[in-house]
Amino acid sequence: MRKFFLPLLFLLLFIFESLFVQFLPAESFGNRILVPRFLFATLLFLTIYVGKNQGIIYAAIFGLLFDIVYVEIIGIYFFLFPFICYLAAKVMQVIQSNIVVAFFVSLLGVALLEAGVYEINYLIHVTNLDFMSFVNLRFYPTLILNGTFLLIAAYPLKRGFEKHAEALREDL
Amino acid sequence: MPQFFLNKRLIILLVSIIVLVALIGFSLRERSKLTWPEQFVKDTTGWVQSLVSRPAQYVAGFFENLQDLQDTYDENKGLKSRVEKIASLEAEVQELKKDNKELRDVLDEKKTLRDLEPMPATVIGRNPDRWHEMIIINKGKLDGIKKNMAVVTATGLIGKVKNVTQFSSTVQLLSAMDPKNRISAVIQGETEVYGFVQGFDDKQKMLLVKAIPSGAKVEKGQTVITSGMGGVFPKGLMIGKVEEVKPDQYGLNQTALVKPGADFYDIENVMVIKRLMTSPEESVMKSGKEEDL
Repeated sequence: MRKFFLPLLFLLLFIFESLFVQFLPAESFGNRILVPRFLFATLLFLTIYVGKNQGIIYAAIFGLLFDIVYVEIIGIYFFLFPFICYLAAKVMQVIQSNIVVAFFVSLLGVALLEAGVYEINYLIHVTNLDFMSFVNLRFYPTLILNGTFLLIAAYPLKRGFEKHAEALREDL
Repeated sequence: MPQFFLNKRLIILLVSIIVLVALIGFSLRERSKLTWPEQFVKDTTGWVQSLVSRPAQYVAGFFENLQDLQDTYDENKGLKSRVEKIASLEAEVQELKKDNKELRDVLDEKKTLRDLEPMPATVIGRNPDRWHEMIIINKGKLDGIKKNMAVVTATGLIGKVKNVTQFSSTVQLLSAMDPKNRISAVIQGETEVYGFVQGFDDKQKMLLVKAIPSGAKVEKGQTVITSGMGGVFPKGLMIGKVEEVKPDQYGLNQTALVKPGADFYDIENVMVIKRLMTSPEESVMKSGKEEDL
């Protein structure tokens, strides 16, 4: 059961993101675009509470999956997911770990991811949105959405991952 | 010693950036089909997605029904007035269809650019990051879907098939920015004006129809449909209505902002359109009247 907990959780979030976008009533937000980054926010929590190595491995696997299934350009998330997880792990080494800090580090990670994805897409001409419109149309709405998700999910995630980490230690 | 570790990390970072660039380059080039590991992964996740999306659609449908109930009365009034018009329209259409068929028989032209074969499909996923506007549908190669087929909803064209795997395929929406995505379109009016659907205005949520000759008269409210001249899409698929016309960058052409007929967000069921007339047959090209003249 312990073995399947993490892959199942992430797979569920992976599919939930797509469903969320599919069924979100788009008109109610004008032309703003809200991007769910629930999978990535949870990956960051995994990195913070369970361990750097596990976090980065899961980030790479699900980044690759995300690229193949949703984007069809391999490399963007495959690179950014593990890279930002690594940065988050570094940051958490320096500052003391509590749930509020974890919340802000995750939110910062999501912000970094959004900006990074925008830059890459701008580079390969997938978008020609200028930076200010990007910030207004996508960046702030996305941060608010994911902030809300983290507010709701932070405590259950922390509990779940701490239990998981404990179980891992007992196994060793 | 710490210096050494720092270098190792730097090397890993550099190597991964090189790999990143190589992978992006590999997947950006024009590919006729996906590699088999990609197809395998997509089919597997597609299977899981179709398992989950069915119940999710029921739940979403339930809430939608509740919302619909609220404005049933107003809608009913509006629809009633339209029903009366439809009856007379239908009679007219029947008449025209018969006429058309008879005239075609006289001309001995059986196939037209309009001939198409629709194939229903259900949406099982959508790209969450919404840079690359894409949806995943539950029909694939085994159902006869091929790359570049047109995809429509009841209200209009939404995109084309981008990639096909065995059991599912991805559809690139018109709202995606892709310079390779050019659709030959006609603006209907007294004289038909041709242009290309090319690009999407993110801020105004409008399609851009480019390369309209600068002399052509295009007005607000005119309907834009596919022309069938591109050789892939059939003729007569609804694209949208003209909202605004402006001269392009150099003043040589005009660009029309077109409000898409289809909603790119609330998509549940789509039709994949197979064009029956694929390309002009050789015999037709050779025995053309121009040659004799």
